[in-house]
Amino acid sequence: MLRKLLVAVPLAAAMAGPASAGPSDDPAAVLQALIDSTSSYYLTQSEQNLMMMPDNPALWSLEEGEALFKTPRGPKNVSLEGCDFGKGPGVLEGAYVELPRYFKDTGKVMDLGNRLIHCMKTLQGFPADDPAVKEIHGSKSDHMKLQTYIAAQSNGMPWNPPMDHPLEKAMRDAGEVVFYRRSGPFDFNCAACHGEPGKRVRASVLPYAQDPKEWTKAISWPAFRVGQDNTRSSQHRLRECIWQMRYPPIVAGSDLSIALLSYWTELARGQPAIIPDMKR
Amino acid sequence: MFDTKIRVAAACAALALAGTYATAADVDYTKMTPQELAEYLIFEAKGYKFDAQVQTEGATAKDRLVQDELQKVCTETRNKPSPEQAAKISAAARESIKYPEGDIKLGDWKKGRELAWSGFGYRLDPNFDDHKKSAPGANCYNCHEFAGDRQGGTIGPSLRNYGKLRGTEQPVLKLAYGIIYNAHSMFPCTRMPRQGAKGLLTEAQILDVMAYLFDPESPVNKE
Repeated sequence: MLRKLLVAVPLAAAMAGPASAGPSDDPAAVLQALIDSTSSYYLTQSEQNLMMMPDNPALWSLEEGEALFKTPRGPKNVSLEGCDFGKGPGVLEGAYVELPRYFKDTGKVMDLGNRLIHCMKTLQGFPADDPAVKEIHGSKSDHMKLQTYIAAQSNGMPWNPPMDHPLEKAMRDAGEVVFYRRSGPFDFNCAACHGEPGKRVRASVLPYAQDPKEWTKAISWPAFRVGQDNTRSSQHRLRECIWQMRYPPIVAGSDLSIALLSYWTELARGQPAIIPDMKR
Repeated sequence: MFDTKIRVAAACAALALAGTYATAADVDYTKMTPQELAEYLIFEAKGYKFDAQVQTEGATAKDRLVQDELQKVCTETRNKPSPEQAAKISAAARESIKYPEGDIKLGDWKKGRELAWSGFGYRLDPNFDDHKKSAPGANCYNCHEFAGDRQGGTIGPSLRNYGKLRGTEQPVLKLAYGIIYNAHSMFPCTRMPRQGAKGLLTEAQILDVMAYLFDPESPVNKE
């Protein structure tokens, strides 16, 4: 409790300040500050999860991820500490809230998952079909552990996807088109569920894409999905939405998926990331 | 639009000749409009698994992403068609409706209740809905609430006391049948799936769902 209070005070100051704010170590405090600053059923819908935040099982993923990150691995026996996530080799603080972004060395806009794969292959020498590279879902996967650790170094920091490179803008704008594009046997688009505030699908309160304070929680992954008993990623959330929409399965890491992530991150710009979060 | 489609197609053809296939590096995304890039990412850059198994015989997963005229207009206008577009949409939707022969006779409200509740059907990999094992439901509760016994969604309007408030005269039943069959007949660019027009529900299933809405014995009208 005392620890919580100690974190909450500088956080409140940080959130009022400019985008250069540093990371906070308490996702629950970040979420609470959002709840206190707005009125949203989506943010508060699971009282149980709010209470569980200090014991979030995703914290295990985070801890295991830190060890994995720093351990020399792969055929080249090096750690991931030399991996550049956009802010220079080894710089993790604030890297995740600036993804997806353009990387000069690949000429592509990449999300965290794609960048990790890139570093596992080039830096550590893992072959593409190694389980470390290709198993991207579930708490037991290296990906979810590493992603949780890396992303958590941006907890409390405002989403700030760079739009300096023309490719970053192109991907974001194409993502917006896809978000509103109606198709499939049910004629759905993303906006069918996320286009109005305060709506429910059955018992679940849906996040509204045009409310950044609500949307930041919606896109704060990795998070522990209580109903699935696993730590999950943005790509997994996307996959499940697409499945519910009755679309063909989306290819994780495809440019299509990156375009959607670019747009959805844009929608939360300026609001603090809650990582790791807990979700239903 | 037409012109740029040719441009993309030409680029793809050139790549095919060179013995490679189109990836991000081969095509300049920044030279495309957002619409062109979106289409490219969906259909050319392998954004979806088009080889996924589907439930409908003769259909492919890719077919699901190809927009028909209604989907195109509702996408372009973000569900706010002009009065002219709206009139065209609802006229085409009315045209699509195949009514039962003779008077509309309500089906079994108990079957309708379970159909309305079921969210099963038409989902693909990674958790394929096998229609041979279980028939697809109507998904109504996703967006509507019907009665106090089970919680429904709020994306669509509440349908509590639907029959009690409207009665069961044939014109009323015909209107409701039309809305379930193709809701764009009444509400152009609605988010509601075209249950009949897209072959999602059979005539008998629609009549069961209607019984759940209209039958005086149905929990919908018992509150």
